Amino acid sequence: MNTLHMAWMLARPSSSGRIVQLLTVGAYTMVSAMVLIVLGGAWSFTKLEGDAQGFYIPLAAFALVLLVVPLLVLGSSAAKLSARAQDRALSSLRLLGATGLQVRAVAVIQAAATALVGAICGVVLYLALAPAVALVKFQGEAIGTAIFLPPLATAAAVLAVLLLSVVSALAGLRKLVITPLAVATRRSVPMPSWMRAVIAIGSIVVIYTLFSKVGLLPVGLGVLITIVISGFGVGLLALNLIGPWLVAKVGTAKLKKAESPEQLLAARMILESPGGAWRQVSGVAMAAFVAVIGGSGAAMFAFSENDVAGSWEMYLSADVLTGVLVTLSISLICVAISAAISQCAGTLDRQDLYLGLHRLGVDLGVVNKARVKSVMIPALTVAIGFTVASAALVLPFASLALLLKPLTVATVLVVLLAGLLVIRLSLNIADPRRLLADHSGR
Amino acid sequence: MLQNSYVSNPVISARRLLRSYGSTHALNGIDVDIAAGTAVAIMGPSGSGKSTLLHALAGIELPDSGTVTLNLPGQAPVEVDGLGDSARTKLRREAFGFVFQSGLLIPELTAEENVAMALMVNGVPRTAAIARAVEALQQLGLAGMEQRRIGQLSGGQQQRVAIARAQVTGASVVFADEPTGALDSVTGSEVLDILMQCTVGMGKSLVMVTHDRQVAQRCHRILTLQDGKITADDSVVQGPRS
Ligand SMILES: Nc1ncnc2c1ncn2[C@@H]1O[C@H](COP(=O)(O)OP(=O)(O)OP(=O)(O)O)[C@@H](O)[C@H]1O
Ligand SMILES: [Mg+2]
Repeated sequence: MNTLHMAWMLARPSSSGRIVQLLTVGAYTMVSAMVLIVLGGAWSFTKLEGDAQGFYIPLAAFALVLLVVPLLVLGSSAAKLSARAQDRALSSLRLLGATGLQVRAVAVIQAAATALVGAICGVVLYLALAPAVALVKFQGEAIGTAIFLPPLATAAAVLAVLLLSVVSALAGLRKLVITPLAVATRRSVPMPSWMRAVIAIGSIVVIYTLFSKVGLLPVGLGVLITIVISGFGVGLLALNLIGPWLVAKVGTAKLKKAESPEQLLAARMILESPGGAWRQVSGVAMAAFVAVIGGSGAAMFAFSENDVAGSWEMYLSADVLTGVLVTLSISLICVAISAAISQCAGTLDRQDLYLGLHRLGVDLGVVNKARVKSVMIPALTVAIGFTVASAALVLPFASLALLLKPLTVATVLVVLLAGLLVIRLSLNIADPRRLLADHSGR
Repeated sequence: MLQNSYVSNPVISARRLLRSYGSTHALNGIDVDIAAGTAVAIMGPSGSGKSTLLHALAGIELPDSGTVTLNLPGQAPVEVDGLGDSARTKLRREAFGFVFQSGLLIPELTAEENVAMALMVNGVPRTAAIARAVEALQQLGLAGMEQRRIGQLSGGQQQRVAIARAQVTGASVVFADEPTGALDSVTGSEVLDILMQCTVGMGKSLVMVTHDRQVAQRCHRILTLQDGKITADDSVVQGPRS
């Protein structure tokens, strides 16, 4: 039996395998569509008039940088799901006497094939969504056909998604060899130390002082943007230090207060891996950060609008707001999709345990509520925590914005809330009552 | 003599159970009563329908036809096969305890939390549930390990946690499917001792699937299945040694 034949045999799934395969293809579809829409949006700025480009392209690049993290998280959850789907089949191949090399080849071929199907669907989805995205206005005009990437760029993006799937299939295999994928931990999890918080708060204080001084200096727009962007960079590093710590703190507090089975289980799930729980919702932190700082920025630009009537700068305030809303929405959608995918992977990973618990009389609804809470508690914590922290960071701007442009601030906050709602709704996909329905008796 | 006593006072009565998967008759007309306070072993070759019978008696899966009646002391008889999925789930968590070959313990939780969970899903407040869980664990020789996570316990210790969970709710019937199947013989017999103490030793009923005749000999009665039928129903003369 040759390798291709084996890959083909394993590709014909059982009924539960089929759900997983559909989910995996769906995951790669979403990853590719998101990447293409983001790239298409950024690409459309190169079609703007010369003067405006100098301002818009750095901002678009900046938005791209911000979106890299949620997109990577999304890509890696898709890859993890695909690895889990393969796990059992591959272990049994090994038992049947396939060589390590054969197993590796089967895994890679399968992962790449799934990703390819997903990526092609993703291109279709991108083309289908593009007309809607093209309605977004910059410089007073809808993006229009500028949203469409050149074919070569599209192909490159598809290739990148394929590469991601292959790399993660190989990484997943290494895990399969070293430890089984099930994450039943043998030792208690080390808690993120308070040092993180100290370092993070320290850097926030530094940025804060820097920002409050910058306002007084008579510097040009370019310098200002550079300072703001590097401030963002340091801020993001600080976020990654403080995030796991914050999530662990809230998890501990929830554990102490837990009364119901689902509260107890959710708190323990969060504390099992505060870093993982944080990474899952780090896009929300980013969104909160962008919402507050970008939102304040948009409000600020509005003040100078009268001086610049007639030039490209007259659209600045509206466009910055649009950019903020778009970045916000995309990063929240990425969080929603990746949370749904990784919860599916987690549920399928625990399939035997959950169905067993159902036999013992534990309602799968309890398990579902716990899983939902284990995502939503960190998401809400991070949303509130980082909105407040970012507002403190740019307090003078933020309070001014709130006073003078309450509508802008309200819009941004509403989008943030809507994003949290979408995250909550997306978790319904991973509901074990539906996902494991085929197996839970009659 | 036990052969007659079980009929007079059955906690579970099953009649004419049929269950097939495709052309396989996993249960092919089973009639059986489980007497209150007794231990019943189910034996038979692999694929003979032992687990399927256990699942039907416990309301985990419904038979294609036939009836399963539950007679709990002080309660009206319940037709298990007439209940919907959520009613059966409720029945299982309130009236039954389970010990399976794999402990089915939640790895994120500590030992005491796993046991307390069985009470908490029945509405017992957390503090009270933990207190009863700790007591149950200590009675099973797990003092000092209450706060350990499941991954930090040996296989035998994990099964004791599972037994503590099966018994902590005061369930009147405990179902066990090869509870010692994954353990070495010494650990297995220790776990079995504990299982017997916690069930028949306290006036509860035990229905246990096992491949091990020595294990089965510790029960009051041994049912032997073959192709979905009971081919032998022997009472063990010396009775359970617990
Ligand atoms: N969900 C199912 N789908 C299809 N066939 C099944 C299913 N469950 C059980 N069977 C079949 O029903 C028969 C009885 O299965 P059961 O699990 O009750 O056997 P068992 O006596 O417990 O065997 P073992 O000792 O191996 O656990 C077997 O032939 C089995 O293949
Ligand atoms: Mg069995």
